[in-house]
Amino acid sequence: MSYYLQLLLNGVIAGSVYALFAVGLTLVYGVFRFINFAHAELISWGAYLTLMFSSPPVSWPLCLAVIPAVLLTAFIGFSQDWFIYRPLRRGSPITLLIASIGLSYMLRNVLRLIWGSDLMTFSLPLARGFEFSGYYVTGIQLLMLAAALLFLMILYLLLTKSLMGKSLRATADNLELAAIMGVSMPKVSAVVWTLASVFAAAGGILLALDTNLEPMMGVANLIKAFAAVLLGGAGNVWGALLGGLFIGIAENLGVAFFSPGYKDFVSFAVIFLLLLFRPRGIFGLLTGVR
Amino acid sequence: MKKSLGIIICVFLLCAGPLSAAEVKVGSNTPLSGKLSVYGEGFQQAMLLALEEVNAEGGIKGSPMQIVFEDNNSTAAGAVSAIQKLITVDKLPLLFGPAASSNFLAVCPIAQQNKTILIAAESAAAEISKCGSFVFRVFPSDALQGIGVAELTQTLKYDQVVLTYINNDWGVGLAEIFKKKFTAAGGKILDEFAHDEGKTDYRSEVLRIRKSNAKAVVNLTYIKEGATVLKQAYETGLKVQWLMGSASKSPKLVELAGEAAEGVIGTYPTFSQETPQYKAFKAAWEKKYPDKKIPVFGEYNYDMVKLTAKALRMAKSMAPEDLRKAMIEAGKGYMGVTGDKTFDENGDVGAVYGCWTVKQQAIQDYK
Repeated sequence: MSYYLQLLLNGVIAGSVYALFAVGLTLVYGVFRFINFAHAELISWGAYLTLMFSSPPVSWPLCLAVIPAVLLTAFIGFSQDWFIYRPLRRGSPITLLIASIGLSYMLRNVLRLIWGSDLMTFSLPLARGFEFSGYYVTGIQLLMLAAALLFLMILYLLLTKSLMGKSLRATADNLELAAIMGVSMPKVSAVVWTLASVFAAAGGILLALDTNLEPMMGVANLIKAFAAVLLGGAGNVWGALLGGLFIGIAENLGVAFFSPGYKDFVSFAVIFLLLLFRPRGIFGLLTGVR
Repeated sequence: MKKSLGIIICVFLLCAGPLSAAEVKVGSNTPLSGKLSVYGEGFQQAMLLALEEVNAEGGIKGSPMQIVFEDNNSTAAGAVSAIQKLITVDKLPLLFGPAASSNFLAVCPIAQQNKTILIAAESAAAEISKCGSFVFRVFPSDALQGIGVAELTQTLKYDQVVLTYINNDWGVGLAEIFKKKFTAAGGKILDEFAHDEGKTDYRSEVLRIRKSNAKAVVNLTYIKEGATVLKQAYETGLKVQWLMGSASKSPKLVELAGEAAEGVIGTYPTFSQETPQYKAFKAAWEKKYPDKKIPVFGEYNYDMVKLTAKALRMAKSMAPEDLRKAMIEAGKGYMGVTGDKTFDENGDVGAVYGCWTVKQQAIQDYK
C-alpha cells in the first residue's frame, strides 16, 4: 500500500510542475485563441538564465539569481507577443501556430548557440531526501509543491479579486467586446504574457534544480502541458491545474502496472481519447477563466 | 594566360595519370573539420603511420598504397557528399568510413548499393551490423556489451538483479542480449523495465527497484539518464550495486550525479597493452610523432589500414566481390594492436571487456 502512496506522492509533485506549465499555456490560449509552442522555450530559458546569473562571472547566490532570470524570461515572453504574435493577430490562427513553432526553434537554437547542447548542472550538493514514516521526499520536491501552490494561489486571487482579473476574464470571454467596453488590450496582454512566462520559468528552474539543464528540457515537458490543457478544456485555468495533477499522478501510478519506458504513453493516450470523445475536456463543468 | 594555364594543367594531368595508376588507392571519409576534427586529426595520423609501414614493407604487390582523404565536416550530410565524391569521382573500391555512428549509418547504404567496401574504426552502434555485406568494422559492436555486462554481473556473484534499460533500439537490443546470457548462466531477473530517454523524473522507477529488494541493478543507459537515476536513488537512500555499460562511462556522469555515482561498476571494450603488436605500435608511434600522445581510437585506425593492406595483397582483383572475400580472409585470426580481428557474418569483430568504476569522484579501472 505504501508503495502506491509513494507513487501517488511522486505523481502529485510531478503533476504540480506540469500544472505550472499548463496554466500558462491555457491562459494564452484562453485570451488569444492559439497554442503557443514557444511556451516550451520559456521553460528552458528560465532555467538557463538562472544558471547564467548563478555562475561566473556574475556568481550570485541561487535565490538572488532567479529574480533577474524570471524577469528576463518574462521579457522574452512579452517580446514574443509584441514583435511576432501581435502583428499576426489579424491573420488566421494557423499563422500564429506556425509562427510559434518557428519561434520555438529559434529560441532553442539561440540557447544552444550560447550554452551549447551539452548537459549542464547547478552542481548543488547531493542530499538525502527526508523520510516521513517510510515516504521519501526531497527538499527540491517540497519546493516544487510550495512554488506551485504559491503561484496558483496568486493567480486565483488575481483572477477573482482584482479588476485586472475581471478584465482578463472578460477578454477571454470575448476579446472584441471587452475591447469595446474599454478593457485595455495592451495591459491584458502584458499581464497574460508575464504570468505565462513567470510560471514557465519557475517550473523550468525547479526542474533544473532537481536534475539538470539541456536545451530540449522545455519541449519534453510541453507535451505533458498540452495533455493537461486538453484534459481541463482549452482555456480553462482550473481545468489545466487539475489536468496537470491528473497527468502526473496517472503516469507515476502507471509505473506500478506497466513498463515506465512507456510513461509518455499516458499523456498521449489522454490527448487522443479526449480529442475523440470529449474535446471540451472533462472538467468543462467547472467555471474557469472563461 | 588562362589558356596557357589550362594547357599546363592538362599536361600535368596527363603526366600524373599514368604515374598514379601504379598506386593502389583507397579513400577515407574523415572528420578533418567540424566538431569531430579534434579526433579526426589523430585518426589521420594513425592511418598515415600504418600506411608508411605498409609501403615500407613493399606496398600492395609492389605498388605503393595511397589514402585519398576527404573531409566530411563531422556531419552526416558532409559524410554523404564525401562518400559520393570518393565513389563517383575518384572511383575508389574501398573506403574508410566516417567517425560517429550516426554519420556512418548515413553513408553505409550508399557503400552497400555501390558495392564499395566500407570499414569503420570507431563506430559502435549495433545497427551497423545490419548495414550489409560490404560493410566491415574493426571496432566492437555495442551489442557485445550485453554479454560483457552479464559476465561482469556473474563475476561479482550477483545472481538476482533488476534490469532496466533505455527505451530505444540500442537499449532494448542490449537488454535482450544481457538477459539471454545472464539467465542462461542461471541468473534471475527480479524485475525488468525500460525507462524513457530524456526524462527528469525517475523517482517512480527507483521506487520499483526498491520494491524488488535487489542487491544489484543492471542499468543500461546513457550519461544523462544514468546520472538522474543515480541521484534520485541516492536521495531515497536506496543502497544497491549499480552495474552499467560503457555508454555511461564519462566524467560527465560523475559531474552530474556527484557522490551518487560513487561505487558504480561498468564495462567497456578494451584491449591488452602487453601484446607484442601493441608494443610495436607504440614504439612506431613515438618514433613518428614524438611529441604526440596516441589519440583516441588511434589503435583501431592503425589496425584498419594494416588489415586492409593485407586484404588488398590477398585480393585476386580489385573487383568488389574479390575485395569482399579478401577482407573476410584477411581478418581470419588476424591479431592486430586491438586484438583479434576475425570478422563474423555481419562484418563485426569480437571484443575483450575491461571494467570501470567511480572512486573518489573519478572514473578508474576496476580491478
